Amino acid sequence: MSLLAVEGLSVAYGDVLAVRDVSFAFEEGEVFVLLGANGAGKTSILRCISGMVPARGGAVTSGGRRLNGLRPHQVARAGISHVPEGRRIFPNLTVEENLAVSFIGARAHDNAAGALAAVYEFFPRLAERRRQFGGTLSGGEQQMRASGRAIMNVPKLLMLDEPSLGLSPVMSELVFERLAAIRAQNTTILLVEQNATCLELATRGVILQNGRVLLSGEREALQDSEFVRRAYLGV
Amino acid sequence: MGAYLDAALIPVGQALLSGVLVGGVYGLMSIGFSLAFGVMRIVNFAHGDLVMYGMYVGVIASTAFGVDPLYAIPLSFLLMALLGAAQYQLVFKRFVGAATLQQLLAAIGLGLVLQMIAQVVFGADARSAPSMFGGQFVLLGPLFASAAQIVAFIVAVLCTIAVEALLLGTRWGKSVRAVADDIEAAELVGLSAQTINITAFALACGLAGIAGTIMVTYYPVDPSKGLSLMPIAIIATTIGGLGSIRGSFFGGLFCGVVQQLTAMLWNSALQDVPLYVLLLVFIAYKPTGMFGFRTE
Repeated sequence: MSLLAVEGLSVAYGDVLAVRDVSFAFEEGEVFVLLGANGAGKTSILRCISGMVPARGGAVTSGGRRLNGLRPHQVARAGISHVPEGRRIFPNLTVEENLAVSFIGARAHDNAAGALAAVYEFFPRLAERRRQFGGTLSGGEQQMRASGRAIMNVPKLLMLDEPSLGLSPVMSELVFERLAAIRAQNTTILLVEQNATCLELATRGVILQNGRVLLSGEREALQDSEFVRRAYLGV
Repeated sequence: MGAYLDAALIPVGQALLSGVLVGGVYGLMSIGFSLAFGVMRIVNFAHGDLVMYGMYVGVIASTAFGVDPLYAIPLSFLLMALLGAAQYQLVFKRFVGAATLQQLLAAIGLGLVLQMIAQVVFGADARSAPSMFGGQFVLLGPLFASAAQIVAFIVAVLCTIAVEALLLGTRWGKSVRAVADDIEAAELVGLSAQTINITAFALACGLAGIAGTIMVTYYPVDPSKGLSLMPIAIIATTIGGLGSIRGSFFGGLFCGVVQQLTAMLWNSALQDVPLYVLLLVFIAYKPTGMFGFRTE
């Protein structure tokens, strides 16, 4: 059974269909990419998986368990961590508290200290800034914090919505390097990106256009596709 | 010369002392109001009516059961917290995150219902419930203070410190602050916003109950008392900073002092006038107040 399976999913805001009949599935250990331009429906798919918007049609299952209809906090407690677009740190909580709330959310109080140490080892810059308020961090630091918060509980699935958005090239490279390291720890990742360079990390993925699946396949197939070549490489 | 100056300063010192003592209870009343706004963006115009019910809890304890109103504080907290949770579930849940006109009207309507019920149950007459400290005065050098007010002030300060400690130091408090910052992101890390909101709202209302019960030891209650206290809570919270617990408490102190100084220097019937002027000044020039929430 797939770690995550999306079948015939449609998402609508009022009368406007943002996602139409999208299907994909992936297994444990994969890095699955949803690639597409602005408005292709990538974020809506993630928000639907997390229970933030209802599905108009279709189903989302994880290991055979249906996720549609669960509240976002229930999806999170089922081991699916979603780092939303724009990172969404808690500005009035310190960096450490920002990380700690994800334990509280996951009701994993026993291993809190150990996991906190692991996150600090993973993102040393966060350790330096642990007493600062979340609102004072730079964009890259906020991304680290958001990713750190998401990996605190060793999720089954880490979903990232454009983690490189608005970051400097250096920072964005650092974030992708850290993602590769998270993956090496055997965490499955669902990555939403506009930037085709993220395919380097991917095992498989889909290309979305206007809410529909344009192409679905292995990394190489996507990299060689007409769409990626035209849109991103200017060939 | 020195004696003359002293004689002039004593009334000022007396007004400051009385203002701080009254203001502490205003502060306790205001932190609950501020909490509901800071966490849920709910402007609870019925907050004062829960203070009024807290006052009646003291009256009933004292007149019906012969118990000192101060001993009724835990019961008052519990009853108003339950009433608050019910209000949240029935009325305010649908308005979380949006202080809309509808939400304001719902709160005002709820307040009117609570006042009507009080009118029917307790009657329109003013009632009081002096505690064991009632009518006693403490001399502090040339100044004096009512013992009941000193006790009420101490209770208010202890409650405020407890709430701050709860919000800063506990898992629940961190969750509340996370929900206050970003309810959606809080849900995404696994926090149940519904559970946190209802408990935070219950706490806010329980604090109103405590504020009422300590206030009735020196200040009589009638069914319109809550409504007449609301401007103070609004002004204290605006000056202190909406959503800031500490700020609202100091805002309450400030309101008490301004009232007493105005009453001493000008006219006690006009003691709230400078507060309204300050409210307008703050809304126009510093709407985040002195201790306002940091925003991104």
